[in-house]
Amino acid sequence: MAFHPISRRTVLGAALGTAFAFSAAASAQATEITLGALRLTSHSPTYIALERGYFAEEGLEVELAFFESSAAMAVGVAGGDLDYGVTSITGGLMNLAQRGVVKVIGGALAEDPAVEGAVILASNAAYDAGLTEPSMLPGHSFGVTTAGSSFHYMLSRIAEGEGFEIGDVTMRPLQQVGAIVGAITSGQIDAWAIQPSIANRLVNEGAAHRIGAISDYDPSYQVTAIFTSTEIASEEREQTEAFLRALSRGVADYNAAFVDKTASQEDVDALIDIVHGYVNSDTPRETFARSLTEGSMRINEGLSLSTTSVQAQLDWMQAEELVSSDITLEMLVDPSYVETH
Amino acid sequence: MADTPLLAAGTLPPSRPVTPAKGQPVPFRGGGFQPVPIRGVAILVFVLLIAALELGTRTGVISNLTMPPPSAIVETLWNLAASGRLWTHLYPSLTRLVIGAAIGTTLGIAIGTMIGLFSLARAGLVPLVSALFPIPKIALLPLFVIWFGIGESSKYALIAFGTFTPTVVATFGAVDNVDRTLIRMGQSFGLSWWSVVRKIVLPGAFPGILSGLRVSIAIGIILLVAAEMLGAEHGIGAYILEAGSLYDLERLFAGVTVLSVMGVTLSWLIGLLERRFLSWRS
Repeated sequence: MAFHPISRRTVLGAALGTAFAFSAAASAQATEITLGALRLTSHSPTYIALERGYFAEEGLEVELAFFESSAAMAVGVAGGDLDYGVTSITGGLMNLAQRGVVKVIGGALAEDPAVEGAVILASNAAYDAGLTEPSMLPGHSFGVTTAGSSFHYMLSRIAEGEGFEIGDVTMRPLQQVGAIVGAITSGQIDAWAIQPSIANRLVNEGAAHRIGAISDYDPSYQVTAIFTSTEIASEEREQTEAFLRALSRGVADYNAAFVDKTASQEDVDALIDIVHGYVNSDTPRETFARSLTEGSMRINEGLSLSTTSVQAQLDWMQAEELVSSDITLEMLVDPSYVETH
Repeated sequence: MADTPLLAAGTLPPSRPVTPAKGQPVPFRGGGFQPVPIRGVAILVFVLLIAALELGTRTGVISNLTMPPPSAIVETLWNLAASGRLWTHLYPSLTRLVIGAAIGTTLGIAIGTMIGLFSLARAGLVPLVSALFPIPKIALLPLFVIWFGIGESSKYALIAFGTFTPTVVATFGAVDNVDRTLIRMGQSFGLSWWSVVRKIVLPGAFPGILSGLRVSIAIGIILLVAAEMLGAEHGIGAYILEAGSLYDLERLFAGVTVLSVMGVTLSWLIGLLERRFLSWRS
């Protein structure tokens, strides 16, 4: 009996020792980073870079943290739980940047007149009642997640392009994309603007009508951006550059397969399988493959960033008094990592 | 006389067994267990807490990511009030709260009284109320939108549903706690059933119903934020949610402060009601 605990302790000690040895060896080879991700097709490059080993080749060991919304991801990076994230450029991100905790280091999803981008939708009831063009939006309701979100910004672009007051459209904040989908399907709101993967599904199902495209109003709209904490942006240059290089390879694969359609069918199928493993895994592969090949927006090659668009969004947020007028582009963006235009 | 030898063994003379002749004086042991209002303590607690926060945020001990300085919150509130936007947010919220809570508590008091009075209602409804109580009303929000639409009625319904169940539970508990001897007394004086209910049961249950109302109204204020998650352009809850998504802490706390003030005011109003209607107790 007396020997029993000793022998058990010895075994445990040996096991722990081995574990330490292994982890020490691993950390010598790879830098561990935590990456925020949403289960959306716009995050495909992350999954592609991970599954094809692009991160590993750069010596990065990536752990994914899944989020429900990009707003929560911004707070995750600010709080130090995440190293990198991809989010829409929102008022929340700008306010966090003002507090000196996050920096945008690259661009991701963007409008491109040559590729189908965000679609303006009308509910069936509103369409039948005459809402067939974006210029007829005044007097109707428009779904957004919250004030200061990308949906709010898109509405403002339409208003500016068509020359009506944004106040003439009733904005309906519904917090979640799912709630907006339900509201437009049941005709509780009249109109919405959303990325093509969701818009095409709604139009194909006969749940809504397409009445326009956002690229007609803002052809260079930078929708999402890559961001990190100010600390990492300024002190972990090598790691950040490696991360952006690896992710860029994922972006190149994604654009070739789903946007420019220059990749071989074999390659496309392989990529669909990778993304399907993370996004909408419960939908049939065929349906998913169709939405991915038909409804993918361009992600900037080399993760370049349209600072012109970011500046325009910042100006608008400030004019609407959604963010402080003290915020500057320099607070928000660290332009030293990627090409800006 | 069986105890005489015992007393004789002590110091007391056997002829006066109950009153101690020259023992120590007995101190008055009553009192206490009775809350007395002390002025100023509540204000002192608030002032100390706010001063500590102000000091912490100004010196940088508390980072500006975790807490905004209270002075900035006051400034935000002031700007909100001065620009008139406080009212554009407060008015729809108060309307939703008043209408929703009025429906919920009226129904709740009615059903609760029925449960308290009729055994059939008790047998049938208590399990139902127990089943409804723990349902997180926020989880039912999408369903409410389908039932009542995205407009005001779904918001009234959510608040009404949320205030209904606690009111029912408080009301039938209060009716159960009415002194049975008073009821028996009324009956033996020949009061009709309706008179017993009106003159003994309901006044007796009123204090319990009012204290239940405090809980229900607080729950109503909590649900206000949830109700304004869907499709509300204006309202204190919508304002708080917007501030949260913008990560604008000053506005977030300003909105929360307004909710707290609403809670304190409503609780004070119920206190007035208590004093007005329950003065017969003292």
